[in-house]
Formats: sequence, structure tokens, C-alpha cells
Amino acid sequence: MKGKLIRLLSLMAALALVAAACGDDGDDTSATPQTVVVTSVVTETEVVTETSIVTEVVTETEVVTEVVTEISEVMVENPLAGTTVTVFGPESTDAEAGSNQAALDIFAAQNGMTIQYTGERSFSDLINAQAAGGNPPDIAVFPQPGKIADFAREGWLLPIPDDVIATMEANVGEAWTAFGNVDGVQYAIPQKADLKSLVWYRPGAFAANGYTVPTTWDDLKALTTQMIADGNTPWCVGIESGGATGWAFTDWVEDMTLRHHGADFYDEWVAHSIPFNTPEMHAIWTEILDIWNTPGAVYAEGGTIASTGFGENGRPLVDGDCMMHRQASFFSAFFPEGTAFGPDGIDVFYFPSVSGDRPVLGAGTLVAAFRDAPEVWAVMEYYATAEYADNRQRFQNLSKGGGAVLSGFLSPNRNADLSLYQPIEQSFLEILFNAEVVRFDGSDLMPAAVGAGSFWTEATSAVNGDKTVQEALDAIEASWP
Amino acid sequence: MTTLSRSAGPGLGHRTYAFLRSIPTWVLWFLVLLWTIPTFGLLVNSFRTRDAQRTSGWWETPFQGVANNLTLDNYIDILAAGSQGHLWRALLNSLAIALPATVIPIAFAAFAAYAFAWIDFKGREWLFIATVSLLAIPAQMSLIPLLQLYSGGGHITLPFVEKTLTLFPDLDLAGRAVSVWLTHTGFAMPFAIFLLHNYISGLPKDIFESAVIDGADHFKIFWRLVIPLSVPVLAAFAIFQFLWTYNDYLIAVTMLGGAGQNFPATARIAALAGEFGQAEHLLTAGAFLSTLLPIIVFFALQRFFVTGILAGSVKG
Amino acid sequence: MAGVFGVTINVLMALGVAGGVGLWIDRGGRRSQVRRILASVAGVVLGGLTLWGIYASDKLETTAQGVVVSIVASALIFIVANRLFDLAPDRWAVFTTLVGGSITLIVFVLMWGNRIFDQPVLRTVVAICIGAVAGYLLGTICQPLARIGIGALAGAALGLVAASGIRTVILQFQVEQRTFDVWPMLPNLNIGELILSTLIGAVLGVAVWALRGRKGSPIAPLIWGATLGYAVGAWLMPRIGTGTKTDAYIAAIGLGLGLGAAIGLTSIPDHVTRGRIEGSARAFIFLIPALGFIAATLIIPTLRTLFLSFYDARGEGYVGFENYTTVFGIPNIFNVEDWTGIFGSRLFWVGAVLLVVGVVMAVVVGRQSGYAISFSPGSGALASIGAVFAIFAVFAALRGTLFNNLWWVFTVTVVSATAGLAIAVLADRSKGESVAKSLIFMPMAISFVGAGVIWRFMYLARDPSKPQTGVLNSLWVGLGNLSLSRGPGFWIAVVLVLGLAAWLAGLAMRAWQAGERGIGAGSAICALPLVWFAYALWQGIGGYKVLENGQTVASTITFTQESPFNNVWLMLVLIWIQTGFTMVIFSAAIKAVPAELIEAARVDGATESQAFWRVTIPQIAPTIGVVVTTLIVLVMKVFDIVKVMTNGNFGTQVVANEMWQRAFTELNFGLGSALAVLLFLAVLPIIYMNIRRMQKAAQ
Repeated sequence: MKGKLIRLLSLMAALALVAAACGDDGDDTSATPQTVVVTSVVTETEVVTETSIVTEVVTETEVVTEVVTEISEVMVENPLAGTTVTVFGPESTDAEAGSNQAALDIFAAQNGMTIQYTGERSFSDLINAQAAGGNPPDIAVFPQPGKIADFAREGWLLPIPDDVIATMEANVGEAWTAFGNVDGVQYAIPQKADLKSLVWYRPGAFAANGYTVPTTWDDLKALTTQMIADGNTPWCVGIESGGATGWAFTDWVEDMTLRHHGADFYDEWVAHSIPFNTPEMHAIWTEILDIWNTPGAVYAEGGTIASTGFGENGRPLVDGDCMMHRQASFFSAFFPEGTAFGPDGIDVFYFPSVSGDRPVLGAGTLVAAFRDAPEVWAVMEYYATAEYADNRQRFQNLSKGGGAVLSGFLSPNRNADLSLYQPIEQSFLEILFNAEVVRFDGSDLMPAAVGAGSFWTEATSAVNGDKTVQEALDAIEASWP
Repeated sequence: MTTLSRSAGPGLGHRTYAFLRSIPTWVLWFLVLLWTIPTFGLLVNSFRTRDAQRTSGWWETPFQGVANNLTLDNYIDILAAGSQGHLWRALLNSLAIALPATVIPIAFAAFAAYAFAWIDFKGREWLFIATVSLLAIPAQMSLIPLLQLYSGGGHITLPFVEKTLTLFPDLDLAGRAVSVWLTHTGFAMPFAIFLLHNYISGLPKDIFESAVIDGADHFKIFWRLVIPLSVPVLAAFAIFQFLWTYNDYLIAVTMLGGAGQNFPATARIAALAGEFGQAEHLLTAGAFLSTLLPIIVFFALQRFFVTGILAGSVKG
Repeated sequence: MAGVFGVTINVLMALGVAGGVGLWIDRGGRRSQVRRILASVAGVVLGGLTLWGIYASDKLETTAQGVVVSIVASALIFIVANRLFDLAPDRWAVFTTLVGGSITLIVFVLMWGNRIFDQPVLRTVVAICIGAVAGYLLGTICQPLARIGIGALAGAALGLVAASGIRTVILQFQVEQRTFDVWPMLPNLNIGELILSTLIGAVLGVAVWALRGRKGSPIAPLIWGATLGYAVGAWLMPRIGTGTKTDAYIAAIGLGLGLGAAIGLTSIPDHVTRGRIEGSARAFIFLIPALGFIAATLIIPTLRTLFLSFYDARGEGYVGFENYTTVFGIPNIFNVEDWTGIFGSRLFWVGAVLLVVGVVMAVVVGRQSGYAISFSPGSGALASIGAVFAIFAVFAALRGTLFNNLWWVFTVTVVSATAGLAIAVLADRSKGESVAKSLIFMPMAISFVGAGVIWRFMYLARDPSKPQTGVLNSLWVGLGNLSLSRGPGFWIAVVLVLGLAAWLAGLAMRAWQAGERGIGAGSAICALPLVWFAYALWQGIGGYKVLENGQTVASTITFTQESPFNNVWLMLVLIWIQTGFTMVIFSAAIKAVPAELIEAARVDGATESQAFWRVTIPQIAPTIGVVVTTLIVLVMKVFDIVKVMTNGNFGTQVVANEMWQRAFTELNFGLGSALAVLLFLAVLPIIYMNIRRMQKAAQ
């Protein structure tokens, strides 16, 4: 009896630590405003040093410095002063994450608040763990509308208040805002846009061989045949991308589906009201693989298409190992340093349409909120404004060296200042804003088991020849949850 | 293979015999060479530009004119990258995670290992097997429940009476280094107990008996006898645990979540490569920089491994 | 940040901890000045970094204080608890006094922390006094009735102290925008329920007593049962918060009364029992911190995983064993369609033949020396290579995540343990031992991200028309060029290889004549592959292929993509990392083998080979057990390498990564959990067998 009692007692003794922790809970849970004020001023100084390191454009630094001096007065009445907002997203290089942070810092400085952006490569997995584990950031930057829908239906995301929606609608076209709309409720604001229906090529090489830029699908096929006949390799293709190997092929599939069968078919296909292994899909896959498997049609830097990193296609295009490469607008970051863009270097043309309706396959990122607080909505609203778009573009351009470089960033914001972009980027934006049919990358809309799983892996098997097209399609269909 | 040597009989010539004797050394250094080549390749590549890394093998460097081929740019880039905190800060974070995550489990596991080895209590064997069996648990599945514990506290709702009890208060630990320490401590416990128990239970019985005759209690025996005698195994475990926690990526990023300023070097370096691997060439310099510290630690402690201080740290 | 004061307090606290740690470390060592300084420095560094780690999180500094306080507090509690139980055997009254005081302290602080009553300081102090006095009296007085009276009285008094101050208003507090209501601890008593529950408790108590053999008096179990029943009826069954203060008095005093009486029923234990109490309690104190961590981080989450594995993707609907049957229904996870392919593969038959030859050789050699079987390096290598080949053929035919995992476990465990042991033996007492061991160990210090980059440069392939940038492909294509060239390089290579083979053959003959069967067979076996290699060079080997028009072009291997043997290339990375670990442990074990034993074996006429197999190996057998167990567990859970290098594409999926993808990428927690449970169940028997074996060996 006594022995057991003592054992029980010693167990309780261990609980005393917990007790000590309970002891003064509640009292210290609320933040002391003074603390954060100090932090925010520190952040400001960081902004200044950062810009002065990166830039020769002195005006930028001055703007920020002025803001810093103003802070003390602003803070007194600004309700956002002293607050902190955390943002978590997939963009993580120093150039991209840095420009995003810098653009956010400007807003933070104006309001005496702190906004902290964290970028991580494995964002997609981590955000799942964080949301499920009850520790989400205030705002997350989603590259996949499909995930926004999942999260919204789980009840993890918050609907956007009307005044923020108004700001967004004044700035972003409906084609783009629709990607953040789940079952009629707006959950997300487009932050960044990528244009996928592009073919990169070297005008110089085209001119030397007497090729013209194709404007129809048949032209493109004829051009491919012509190049092979001339002894030129028409395409650079590579679909390896670490854990995401295969997505470059799925982009081709999506672009072709949109071209051959139109937007309605595309929507039904993405929503799985048409089975994945329909004859139409089979025809599209076969058509693409026929092009890729034609002897002499593809230069694969990594030995085979499936083992060529998608980012390794820039150099061969510059070196003249191939004539064309179909890839999104952000691909400019993958060309060797010092590559010139435009008619004298590397240029792009629109991936031709079949029936002349010029559909556009896009992608991008959207921001959505996990916490209901004025400061969070203020930051969300800032993301919807042209100021964010312009600040971001300015910083990103600087981070890539400034001047006539491609920043790799495109804003879906219609009121963005086009003069901040290079001519080639302006042409991207023109396509984005004016296309009648814009569709988001289908694999980002499908459930993760398919869109970030079987679609990629089975496509890779088909490209490698490990499976026939039909086997691959059947496997994807079977994996649809 | 040392085994070949002296057994060579008189029928073999002296030179053949000498050659056979040297075979083990040759084999050893051949293996060492094989083991080192990959890392050496990384080191060379970390001094080459992105284009050079992609267009020619690292072994061609000497033939390409060292002066115009080698560059410090990768290191400069990775050290200058400061948009989400500088790398030195991430390295400090790594240390701030790895050191406590090494020390805490050692302390706790040593107590437990001693109890399992030398204190008689009911169900000892059963409890020990159960504890060590937990080695088999894949840690990944524990991450979400642990994150819930750190961010919201631990609560249990009793069935039938519908009362919710708080077992662990909401200390708001998620996003801080503390949560990473605690997680590493828990995950390391079965292996630490396993390793330490093997050693501590192998200590000679008579020293304990004479200590008890001298009137020492368990607490005194533990501090005065067991700890000093166990230094080798404690050091061995410390090194392994330090390397594991320092190089860990998954647990740190899951527990720290959006608190990027607390990320360790592994996460910061992976991030610098970019979402699509835009700057993957920086990984070479990053990987090498982050490896430097554990290598220094290892070389500083290597006398533990080679001069036999560790001898017998793992007994039956 | 919020004032110099707070920072100063924290710095002082950190220094205190650091100093404590320093002195603590020092206690173990000799009284040398240098050591003390070193220990203090280590303590200061550790404390500083700890503090920095907390501050870096830029959250409130109360966290810093909280952590420091909890570290200091838990250390203190630990030491105090130990010291407390030191008293138990000899100074019983002091012990009971302190125990009484501390239990009351804990209970009241817990209630205080949950804001159950007002004026907590006063109440707690009074309660401690009551508890300590009751403890002292119970530790000295033997008269049974008096003991019951004292216990009951003290319990009731404590109940009164607690209940008299119970908070009667709802407490609201906010944590990050969420508001929590804490209702006052006023149970809405239903007297009928209370009596019923007490009676049920009493009956159960007696029933337990009866079932356990009716030892002693039934009164104690009766009172314990009734008290527990009362607790349930008073605090668990009614709604908390809506009752009156009278209800609270009844509930609290009754409970205290019962508990006190139950404790008073015990008698003062004799010296032997006290010793036993001390021992068990000590074991518990020593185990509690570790077990607490294990429970929180491993056991509870695993129970949750087990629970989720019977539910659907989102953990909402019960699906029974469906997730488990699904696992075996997905061809990418479990695919035995091609099992007949095993017997069609050349690799399998080559492996089988090698294995048989190796075993036969070992048996023949063993007969000569009177053992059933005796492996020499030659026959051992032959048999193991044969086994590896055969197993590879099996796993190349049985595909899917589950078989991949088994393949990993077999290959990495065998190769890494063998290589680690071989290097440890080779390096032992050789020149440059420390350098060699350090270099082999170095991969352990490299993160998986780093290892991924490193091995990308090893496995990289490029378009055949370009110079290769991957080490292995460069060698492979180079070999192809050499073999095709028929130039001077080719002839030099052929002559070199054949010459080496001839020399080995000669050595084999001479050794055989000299009676050195082991060396003879070993040399002959080494010569065979060389002859084969020369033949292959002649026939054409390496990275090239012949086109239809007769032209030859370079051909590369995409190491990470060509299924199924891409698995082996991934395993190589883990072997590269893990061999440092096995080597270090084996090396330590070999150094611990007493030199006299080996000397004695030599004196008895054993060759070095025999001394190794018959003395060293049995001596380090337990270590081999530890290493193999650790490796199996570690490899079974392999995750990072696959995630970094292929993410499970191209038929390289393993269970841990499959689980991660299902649970975290696809948010299918049901299937992910089922995979985790399968993984656990697969490893469990291995661990269990190993531990049992080791424990038997120890006895």
C-alpha cells in the first residue's frame, strides 16, 4: 500500500514543473507594445542598408529613409503600429524572397508595424503540417489554387472581408481573382503571375536559317520537321525537377488540351467530370510524345528527357544546341548570366493555338490569411494594390542587377506601372491581361494525390517509355481520390 | 585481410611476402580515397561558377587554368544573402538548436540507463524492452501531434463524463528553438538509453557493491561512479546526437514553421537554392560551409575515437 | 527589451545556470585548475547559447525566464526528490513530514495555477503547514485509531482551506485573439448520485480485495474505493461551475476526509520495507524525465497514428482495415506480379552458384581444421557476394515500396556493417590510422541536403555528345572509348590486366604447393574477374552504343532513374554516410579485445586469420548485435536520401517517404498512418529478438 502511494507521490512531484508553468500564465500572454516598437525600428534600418547595398538608384534609399524618420509621428495614431504579421511562402532565393520582404517592409515602415516573410523550398508540405498542427502563419503564399480550396473547405482559411475584395477587384482582373474563389467565397488574392504558353528561341538563329516564327499549330509542326531536315535540333526538352520531376510535361499536356479542346473541356478535365483516361487525353499525350520521340527532334542536356533538369535547357538554347524551348515566363532566371533578351539575344513567341482562339495557360501565387486581425487584412489589402506590384518589381529588378534585366516577376495587377518592366516583359503582361481564355496550370488545381503526385510520376514513366500512354493514363485515373 | 600477412609460408618469396603484408594498407587507403572523392568533388565545385559546374567535370579544373577558373563568388553570394537573415545567424541558430538538443537527452538518458541497469524494480526488463522498441517508430508521424502540443497545449477529453483536462499547458512553444530541443530529446531517448544501458550495465559489479558497503546511495553512486566511468560512451553519443541534430532539416522547419529568423543552416541553405532550383549552384558552397563546423567538432574530438578512449564504449 | 531590469535578471539567471553547469561538470573530474576553468567556460558558452536561442525567437522574454526557471526548477526538484528519498530508510519521521508538506504544496500550487481559489499564497502556506504536521504525526504515531483520526482531520482541514476560497465568478482570458472562459470550480452536486457513486466505489474496492485473495483487512480497500467513488460523484459527474459554495464545501471536505482516512489506515513500515520504498521510488525518479519525454513525443503520437490508421483520409469516418488492404492493393507499393522473373534472371543464378561454391569451400576448409564450417576471406567474400547477387535478383523482380524497403535494409545493413568492420580492422594500429578513420567518418558530418548535392555530381549524366560532368558517367564513357579505340591505351590496359591475372595465378599455384590453401584459393578467385575484365574490354564494355548504321556513339547511364537498380545507387549514398558510424563503433570494440586472448590463440598455433575469426569476432559479437540492430532500425526508416534524390520517383519509393507523401502532401492521414503502423510492426520483432538475445548473453 505504502509503496504504491509513494510511487504516486513521486509522480506528482514531477508534475510540479507543470504547476510552476501554470503558475502565472494568462498574465503574460499579451504582447507589450513597447517591445515591438523597438523591433520595428530595427527592421527599418535593415531596409536602408539592404537597398544601399543592392542599388545605385539613390532615390529608393531616400524614400525609405524619409519613411523611417516619419515613423515616430505615424505610430501614435496608426492602429497598425506595433503589430506583427508573418508571411510564409515558397519563394526562397535571395532575389525573390528578398524583394518580397523589401516590398513588404515599405508598407510596414509606413505603418510602424513589422512584416516578416519566410520562404522555404518545401513550402507545400510544410504548410500542411503547420495548418494541421495548429501553428499556421498569418498569411501564406500559395502556388496552388487546389490547395487553397482544400484549406478553405477544412475551415483553415478565412474569407476575405468586403473592403479588401473591393480593392482587389479594382486592381486585378476577374480571370485571376477567380483562382482564389472557392465555392463562391473569396479566400485568396493573386500576388504573382506566370505566363506558361511561351516558346523561347534565338531570333538570330531563326534568321540565319530563314525560319519564321510560327503562328499556328500546323506551322509549328512544319517548322519542327523542317529543322530536323536541315540538321538542326528543334527542341530542348527536360522534365527533371527533383521531387517534382514530370511537371514540365504536364505543362505541355495542359497547354495542348486547352488548344485542342477548349476551356470548357479543360475545366471539366481538371474537375474530373471527364475521366483522366479519355481518348482525347490519349491523343494529346501521344501527339506530344511523337514530337519528342522523333529522331533528331530533341536535345536533352542530361542524356535523356527525364534526366534533364528543366532548368538546364537555358544554356543549350544559347549555345545553339537546339532552336526552341517551351517554358514559362519565369524561365528567364535560368539562362546563363549575361544573356541578352530581345531580338538580339533570346526572345519568346506565343505557343501557337490550334483554332486561333489564343488561350493562355498561366500560373502564379495567391495570398490567403489564417488569422483574423486588422493588421493581417491590411497586409492582404496591400498585396492587392499596385504599390505592392510596383515596389516588388522595382526591388526584384534591382536584385537581378538593375536596368535592362528580366526580373522574373510579373504582376497580375492591371494598374501596375508597365514602365518598370522590360519590353519583353511588357509583352508578357499584354498577353496576360488581354487573353480571353486564361486557365491556371491544371496540376495545381487537381487534388495533390494527382496534381503533385501521379500526374507527374506517370507522365515521367510514359516519357521514359517504362509505361505505355494508356497504362500511364489508367494509373492516374485510378489514383484520383 | 591483415589476416593474409604473417601466415605466408616459407614457400613464398620474401618480396611476395612483403607485398602481401602491405596489401591491407593499400586496400585501406584505396577505400579512404573512394570515400573522399565525392566530398572532394563538392569542395572543388564550390569554387566554380554555375556554368563551369554544368559544362565540365570538377576534375578538369587543373587543365583549365586555375586562375581564371576558380572563383569565390558562390561563397560571397551565400554569405551576402541576407533577405531572411544571414547565414552566420542561421549557423548560430543551428548551434543553439544542436547543443541543448545534445546535452538534454544525455542527462535524461543517463539517469534512465542507470535505473534500468542497476536498480532493481518490478517490470524492469519489460519496461526496458518497451522503451527500446520505440526505436522503430517513424518520427515523421509524431510531428503533427507534437506541433499541436506546442502550439495549443495538451488536453484530453474524458469519455462519457465529457470533461476536458489539461495535461500540458499552452506554453506557445511552436516557432522557438525550445520546441526543437524538446522534440529531438524525445526522439533521441530510445537510442540514447539503448546505447548508454549497454555500457553502464557492463560496468564491473564489485565497484557498486563496495560503494553500497561504504554507505553510498544510488544518487551518490550515479554521480561519483557511473558518470565519470561512462565518459567514453557519453562522448560517443554526444558526437552522434550533435551531428544528427545539427544536420536535421525536417524537425526544425516543421516546429519552427514561419519563424524563418530561427531557421538552422540546413533550412536556410536549402531555401537559397530556390523554389525551382534557380540558384542550385550555391548549394555547393552552402553545403561545405555548414559541414565545416561538425568537421571541426569531429576533429577536435577525434582522439576519443582513435586513441582508444572510446574503447569498449559498446559492450554486450 | 522591456527594460534593463528584465535583461539583467535573465543574464544573471543564465550565468547562474552556466556556473551551475560548470561546477556540475567539474564535480566528476579531478581537482585540477585547468579542468575547472574549462568546465566553467563550457558552462558559460552553453548557457549563453541557450539564452541566445531563446532570445532569437524574438518572442516575449518571459519565455526566457520561463525556460530558465523550468530548467533550474526541474533540476532542483530532481535533486530534492533524490535527497528526500535518501531520508526514507533511516529518518522516517522527517521523511513523512517533508512528503506531507510537498504533496500539499504540489496539489495547492496546481490549483493555484488553475486559478481555482482566491488568496492563493495564504491558502498554500496554511495547507503546507497542515500537510507537514499531519505527515510528522503519521510518521511517529503507531496507534491505528489515532492515525485514522489524524489523517481524516488533516484531509478535511485541507478540503476546507481549499473550498473556502473557491472563485465564484467566471474568469475570461485571451490568448491570441481567442477568448477562453474558465468556469468556477463549483460542482452542481446531486446528493443521490454522490451517495450512489460512493457506494459503487466501496463495493468495487471490496470486490478487488476479494478477487486479490482477501489479504489483510477489507477496511482499507473499502475506504479507498469509497473515496474514489466519492471523487467521481463529486467532481466528475456533476456540471462544474453551476453549483453553490455549499456544494464545493461538501465535495472538497468529503474527498479530503476520505483520502486522509485511507492514508491514516496504513501503519509505519519496518526498515526493510522502507528500503524497498526507497529503491522503487529512486528507479522511478531516475526514469521519470526520460519516460515523460518518450510518452509525449513517441507513445501518445503513435497511439494517435494507430487510431488514425482506421479512419479515412481526414480522420473523420471509421473505415476499419480498409487503409491496410489499400496499401497492398496499390501496385506502386506492393507488386509481386513478376515473381517468376527471379528464376529467369542471370544475376540470380550467378549469385546462387557463387554462394554454393563459397559455402562448399568453407565446409571443406572447415573439415580440415575440425570445424563444421570455416570461412576464409576468399570463401567468405564469395559466399556473401553470391548472396547479395541472389537477393538483388529477388528484389529486382518483386517491386514496390515495401520490397524496396526490405532491399534497403538488407543491402545497407550488410554492406555498411561489413565495410565498417573491414575498415576498422585494416586501420587498427596501421600508419595514419587517425587520418584514415577521420576521412571515412567525414560523411557523417554532412547533411542530407549536402549529400544530395555531392552525389548529384557523382551520378550526373549529360547529352552523349557533350563531355560528361558526372564522375561515374565520365568513367563509364571513358571506359567505352578505351575499349573501342584499339589504340595504344587499349593494349596497355589489356596487357596490364592480363599480366596481373597471370601473376595472381602463379601466386595461387605456389601458395597451393606451399600448403597455403587460403591464399591460393583467394588469389585464384581474384584472378578470375581480371580475366573476365580483359575479355570484356576486348568484346567492348563501357558507355557506348552502336547505332543501326554501324556508327558508335557515347551512351550514359542515368543512375538515379534506371529502375530497379537505381535503388542500389541510392543505397550507396547511405552506405557512404553510415559506414563511418559502424567503423567507429567496431574500432572501439576491437581495441577493447584483450591482447592476451589473441596472443594466447597465436601461441596455440592459430594463424592471424583464425585468430580473427575465432577470438576477435566472438569477442565483439555483442557489438555486432548493437550495430546491426541500430542499422536495421535506421535503414528501415530511411527517408531523407530518397526524398532529396528522387522523391520516390522511378521505382525508388520507400515506406517512410511514401508515408510522408500520403500524409503531408496529399493530406491522406489514414493511409499515411497505416503505412507508419506497418513500418513499426515490421521493425518490432527484429528489435525484440535482438534485445532478448543481448539480455540473455549478459546474464
